[in-house]
Amino acid sequence: MVTRTAAEVPHAQIEAAIWSALEQVPDPEIPAVSVLDMGMIRQVDVDGDHATVVVLPTFTGCPAIAIIQEDVARAVSGVQGVRRVDVETSFDPPWTSDRITAAGRSKLRNFGLAPPDSGAVLIGEIGLPKVATCPFCGSTDTHSDSLFGPTPCRAAYHCNSCRNPFEQFKPV
Amino acid sequence: MSRAFEAVVTALADDELILGHRHSEWTGYAPHIEEDVAFASIAQDEIGHASSYYSLIAGAGHDVDALALGRPADAYRNAVICERPNTDWAFTLARHWLYDHADDIRSQALEQTSEPKLRQLVTKIRREERYHLLHADYWMKRVAQGPVEARSRIASAMASAFAEAGGLFEPFELEQEALEEGWLPVASPVLRTRFLEWATSALDELGLPGATGREETAPSEFVASSSGDLIAGEGSLAKEPAVVAEGGGRRGRHTDDLRELWIAMTTQYRENEGATW
Repeated sequence: MVTRTAAEVPHAQIEAAIWSALEQVPDPEIPAVSVLDMGMIRQVDVDGDHATVVVLPTFTGCPAIAIIQEDVARAVSGVQGVRRVDVETSFDPPWTSDRITAAGRSKLRNFGLAPPDSGAVLIGEIGLPKVATCPFCGSTDTHSDSLFGPTPCRAAYHCNSCRNPFEQFKPV
Repeated sequence: MSRAFEAVVTALADDELILGHRHSEWTGYAPHIEEDVAFASIAQDEIGHASSYYSLIAGAGHDVDALALGRPADAYRNAVICERPNTDWAFTLARHWLYDHADDIRSQALEQTSEPKLRQLVTKIRREERYHLLHADYWMKRVAQGPVEARSRIASAMASAFAEAGGLFEPFELEQEALEEGWLPVASPVLRTRFLEWATSALDELGLPGATGREETAPSEFVASSSGDLIAGEGSLAKEPAVVAEGGGRRGRHTDDLRELWIAMTTQYRENEGATW
């Protein structure tokens, strides 16, 4: 049995409760996934009743960043034992699409958004996937209409099998 | 933060902001819906990059909005090519291609900076910019291999844009200080040479008039002179030489095109002082 001092127990509990709270914070533009599913939370630090959360923005120009910061701060400030919350953004390391969790990829697919492949992407290899799978019918008989879509992180595709347009999360 | 750091980062941000604003003017007007979305996205990226650069130098009394929108027009340090009106689709594509490749060359060098925040930001930005390069390269190839009218129009627009592209590598204000401080890895004239080498070979590959001038039907040509200056040939649409002797955009010397853009871009900010968005 591990012995803990009185101070350590609540600290660990607070930290665990913060991670649980973050599971409930959706990506404002893709509400089917949480900020944790997206791999956007680099770290959580707790010092007494002061929590610091470091968020990695998915895209530099994403207008959702400010909303995410507010939502994270609100969720964390609701955790018992937390009185003060700081939400920082960082590009260290840069957010990359391989940070999306397996659960996150599955949720994106169910949402109708083709997830990026899971491997790390070298900068010279960034681009649309050679094969995109339609999130609706699973066909790989698809073609890209545009490198760009309704948000910075999505590209526009069309499925030749079920004839649905769909969006592909850009590998980045 | 040194004065030189502030000066260089301001110029980087201003390039992105001003060209981002020009790109955004295609929203609702682009030749077809995918390009409308593409230029809106590219504009959003560039303005986002500008915002991130400004945040590196923002402080008490000058937040990101104040840096982006609260300065007089002659305080901007963007290269003149960024402020030119879109004119038409050909000029838009030529400038997009030249700018994004110039930015690629510049940011590749900046990725080696010893300033951690700048290095981290540039590393992130470069990953996003890959999509701009893919987009620009796709279009250049498409129009350069297109019918006579497409080729002729892109060659003419390229001459016009290329004549001012050298201004992107006009040395920054306080560049010497930045180099001496050790955090600016490569001097602008060196990057300019790299850019000219890239442009010479890329234009040649596209079969567009450039260093080789082998496109005989082109309405205008341009050459890289031995001094490294870009010289617009006869019939060029260039309005100004690449870098005017007394300094260009990097010294705050702009054209009326920036003043016209500035009025539109800053109207909301000026009319609603202190508003939060």
